[in-house]
Amino acid sequence: MAKDESPQVSRRTTRASLNSTPNSKAPQEHSKATNPSRPLTIKDLVFRGKSINLDELINSFPGRRAQILELVQFLGPLNSPMIPLFVYGGASTGKTSTVLYMFRHLKRPFIYCSCVSCYSPSILFESILNQILLHRKNESGGYLSAKRCERPSDFVNSLGEALTALIDSLKGNMRKSSPYGRMVYLVFDHLELVRQWDKSDSIISLLFNLYTLLKIPEVGLIFISRVSLDTFQSDTGFVEPFPVYFPDYTEDDLHQIFMSNQANPKLYSSFLDLVLRPFYRITRRVDELSTAFSPLFKKYCEPLGDLVAVPNEDMKRKLFSHLQPFISLSLNETFTISSQPLLKDRNLRKSVFKKPGVCETLDEIDFHMSTSAKYLLISAFLASRNPATLDASLFDSTGGTDNRKKKRKVSEKSIDQKEAKEQEILMKGPGTFPLERLLAIHQCITSVGEYSLDDEELQNGELGADGSDSGSMSDILLQLSSLCSANFITKGGSCPLEGSTRYRSIVSEDVVLKVARSLKFPLSKYLYRR
Amino acid sequence: MAPSADPETSPSISTTNSDLQPFFLLHKAASRKPSSKTRRRIDLSPKPSDASAQEYNDNLPFDTFKLLWSNTQSIIKDVLKNLNTTVFDGIDKWVHASFDAIRASRTPDFTTATSMYPIPNNVPIGAQIFTALLFTKNVESVDDISTFADLGAHLRSNGCLVANLTSIDFSAKNGVGGCLKTLLRQFLLAGIDAPEMSILASWYYEQENYDKPLIVIIDDVERCNSSVLNDFILMLREWVIKVPIILVLGVATSVDALRNILCSSACLYLSVCEFNLGTPAERMDAVIETVLLRSCQGFNIGKHVSAFLRNYFLRHDGTLTLFVKALRISTAQQVFSEPLSFVLRKLVNEEGTEGLNGDNNLLREPAIKRALELPSLQRFCETRGNCIDWVSALSELKRLHQLWSSLVMCLYEVGRYRKISLLDLYCEMLKLKPQNFCANDLNLVEKDYATAVHNYQSPGCLQDNGYVGRAFQMLGDFSAMELCKILDRWEMLTRGIAEIHEKVKELQSQMTLEEKQLRHDLRKESKKPTARTYKKDWTSKSTLNEKVASFLQSMFREYIQTIESIPLHEIIFFDNVDNLHTALIGDPRRRIQADLLESRKFLKCSCCSKNDGVLVPSMHHTSIMYTLVQEHGDLVNVHEWFHSFMAVISNPPLQSKKKLRMSPSPKKRKDSKEARTKTDASIQAEFCRAVTELQITGLLRMPTKRRPDYVQRVGFGL
Repeated sequence: MAKDESPQVSRRTTRASLNSTPNSKAPQEHSKATNPSRPLTIKDLVFRGKSINLDELINSFPGRRAQILELVQFLGPLNSPMIPLFVYGGASTGKTSTVLYMFRHLKRPFIYCSCVSCYSPSILFESILNQILLHRKNESGGYLSAKRCERPSDFVNSLGEALTALIDSLKGNMRKSSPYGRMVYLVFDHLELVRQWDKSDSIISLLFNLYTLLKIPEVGLIFISRVSLDTFQSDTGFVEPFPVYFPDYTEDDLHQIFMSNQANPKLYSSFLDLVLRPFYRITRRVDELSTAFSPLFKKYCEPLGDLVAVPNEDMKRKLFSHLQPFISLSLNETFTISSQPLLKDRNLRKSVFKKPGVCETLDEIDFHMSTSAKYLLISAFLASRNPATLDASLFDSTGGTDNRKKKRKVSEKSIDQKEAKEQEILMKGPGTFPLERLLAIHQCITSVGEYSLDDEELQNGELGADGSDSGSMSDILLQLSSLCSANFITKGGSCPLEGSTRYRSIVSEDVVLKVARSLKFPLSKYLYRR
Repeated sequence: MAPSADPETSPSISTTNSDLQPFFLLHKAASRKPSSKTRRRIDLSPKPSDASAQEYNDNLPFDTFKLLWSNTQSIIKDVLKNLNTTVFDGIDKWVHASFDAIRASRTPDFTTATSMYPIPNNVPIGAQIFTALLFTKNVESVDDISTFADLGAHLRSNGCLVANLTSIDFSAKNGVGGCLKTLLRQFLLAGIDAPEMSILASWYYEQENYDKPLIVIIDDVERCNSSVLNDFILMLREWVIKVPIILVLGVATSVDALRNILCSSACLYLSVCEFNLGTPAERMDAVIETVLLRSCQGFNIGKHVSAFLRNYFLRHDGTLTLFVKALRISTAQQVFSEPLSFVLRKLVNEEGTEGLNGDNNLLREPAIKRALELPSLQRFCETRGNCIDWVSALSELKRLHQLWSSLVMCLYEVGRYRKISLLDLYCEMLKLKPQNFCANDLNLVEKDYATAVHNYQSPGCLQDNGYVGRAFQMLGDFSAMELCKILDRWEMLTRGIAEIHEKVKELQSQMTLEEKQLRHDLRKESKKPTARTYKKDWTSKSTLNEKVASFLQSMFREYIQTIESIPLHEIIFFDNVDNLHTALIGDPRRRIQADLLESRKFLKCSCCSKNDGVLVPSMHHTSIMYTLVQEHGDLVNVHEWFHSFMAVISNPPLQSKKKLRMSPSPKKRKDSKEARTKTDASIQAEFCRAVTELQITGLLRMPTKRRPDYVQRVGFGL
């Protein structure tokens, strides 16, 4: 195998280097050719930009040497047919970039479709056909596709016709010694998304079947996916695409990746020595790591006067002590919620600098909510957390003492059983509740809390008591709907007329605690702790 | 007969839109006693409508209202616009900076940009979408509907291409295609059947928009369907280098909301910058300041109404929209109910007393007569000891009102430093009684102050002397710098009011003089022990503070009167809470029930209007049914209900009058000829229809599996 590989590779490089000479004119050409009205040609199906040779290709993807060589081998020399390929591997492991750069290296016409941008079957079909037919959506054409194509069967027919026409013209070009060869490659990216389009998996099997359906040997198919082939429900009767696996990057690979294109390699290398190892244990995705690193690197450079200087050992140590608190902080955040990188910068600033002071500022909710909405939120939270059977004891007039008795009873049970129950409830998450229960709890806690309309009206002696009282009921339903739209409470999708709509509070405990604190409401007294 | 046999009811329920708000009423948990449980009769005692005074001129009130309201509206609009401009400018600056950053990284040419494959970049960092989070700081999003449109207009005027999307575009039903379609329609100004990002790319480069950023504003992120929003962001991210799209997301609550909605990979692709709009309280203060205090344009709200609105704002609604709506309603009510309200026009037009003198309307008989009836004018004239001259009373009113508002503003300037909101101050100032105020001197006991602070913490508690007292207390604590600033502001505020302005200027000059002196002294004593210097500094400072405080107090004592003692205050101050309350909040649920019971009042047919209270077959069937329900408790036996309904329907009116009291025996019904004309089936159909209608209005709940022969009443309590 290895023996086979090496001569091929050398052949490839020579061809690539040969090809690179006529194509070096291309950049000037296409800067002139920005005129949008220019019709597309076959040349536009080839990757634009400067061609690269195999060594450059391998060098630009650290840790991907084996995969690149494998792919190049599968694609074979010019004009050789290929079996469908299935490139898969975790997110951000360089699948798409590698495949695209390979076509940049090979200089062969290809058609690329991402199933993210082409979000439905018809859009996918039309996008493929547009590219093959060299059609461009523009204003004069009313931004229409070359062909309307809704059904899979239409798509297969039109695709066959279009591909034959394209390959014919490629063959015609071949006689004029055009370098592109007669192969056309179809690349489908993010194939895993197609599974969600329809439940019957008809599109997946259609795409996998394309090779046998079309019966055109000049078509090469490459599928790129984040998940392995097993997760696609395989239908019988098609050539299984050949899998090419992109493994996760190793720590050394990541180091090489992050070191590329750095202005001050020495400085960045010392930074990477600090951060890469702890972060590597959490995530291996390049995009996640780079988002985590960029604010950290800024922090790292803060004490430095100029960013060009090479740091000595002493300086490195100083920088390390400067950075250390931030590393653990951002590590924690990456670990707890994966979406944390979004606000890493902000949180870093906030939590690090506010640590010495009292965390008063964090206690406040930073948006306006009316008092009754706050109470409603608390009651929804209670209704979701507490088992419904305990409502009577919690909100009874003798609430406090009864509660304690209950607790003692629970603690008498065996600890194992209790833990199992706890786990179960944790897995279930917040419970649902009907509107009646919410209103009952709301009534109870508002009568207990200082918030009591009548009280204050007695104090002021001026407001019409009955007036505000009768209005409160309709308000609560309004406020419930506004809490729903603020995503604090979700509503079960049953018929509103039946009255059996169930609600669920999905607000986090922190927020509710803050709200309760702002009302001086004793939330912990009413919260059932298991 | 059992409801399970009603096939036509259930499908009609299931087809109703799920977006419909639940409209059922529920029991109030504790307040009502179960004594009324068995039998709930609803007594309708309509409030006596005070069809008020006849109008002098048909068009006059209407014109006055139009004038007043258009003035107020434009003022409010300007205020809100001004509040937002700084934020908008910040966003604009950030947009252009981010656009430059995108363009600096790479500018693709036309063909590359419109090709389907992504542009591989050498940098390991995936391209991020620049995203501004605009926090609206209010759970309710009503106030900010226009804000985002304004933001769009602002950015457009600064050379951006803007599309405004709302959460409706991000619905699960239409998927990502739906929002893309709206996006393309707004950018391209053309409808696209198969929306796709490549269309946007080719449009962007075809139209030679290279130097314009594309802004996508999403109003309320929380309401968006999360999966659609995720897809949208992932899709944008694939194109972000080719098409420089910048997102502006309106967030009502906090950052956590965004985290809950978006998946980690979508979050990863957003490069976030945060902007904050003013809080509702800030906006409210600004509106009160300009509309009620600064403009002095005449119309104002009295103490009851202001307290009611304040309570409503803090407790129930919390939106400015409602406040503005309330202002509008009260303006209208004031103008239409108060015959002298045309005077407000004169006050607005600022024609001064000459204008008032020259006006014919003022001297007309009914106007004077009405004016004489006003107790405040009578009081005014008594104190003056002259005959009734209500033109001079008017000018007095204007003067006092102006004095009053400028002093409130002065106090607010002080309170601002300790975050006392104008809303609170305003309400309290309206309530202030002179005797209260005199007791409330600077030497307010420390304990009182503490309690005042404590009360302030508990939400929505309005204390007598709380805020005003606190503001005065504060004057003692200010540093010289702050005092200077306050005096400068006062000087500006009191311009045009001769009485106060002079004194403020005097105080100001005194202040600067003493400051100079103080600095001089300080320089001299800088080498001496610090304790002494400090002491001296402290004493001089406190004397200054005292001076300012006593000045303000004397001003208050001199010029602040209770609103009731101002002549003709009835014209300016609207204080009818009950009217405002019903107009503002209404009570739709009560209305539905009441109208059902009194359907004859609306239908006005000949047969029912004669005999009130008695059920007649020709009445509206739903109305009959609902009246019958009143006989039952929480649960209504469907069978019984149907029989009584049939009895009413099939009995002729003359008999029904007698028979209704005693339950009609089935034999007699059979004898009557009417029964034969209406078949059982048709009656049953009517019955089912009425039940469904009652269910739709939210007064009934259909039988459950547990009790199949009972329907439950859900709406109680009129």
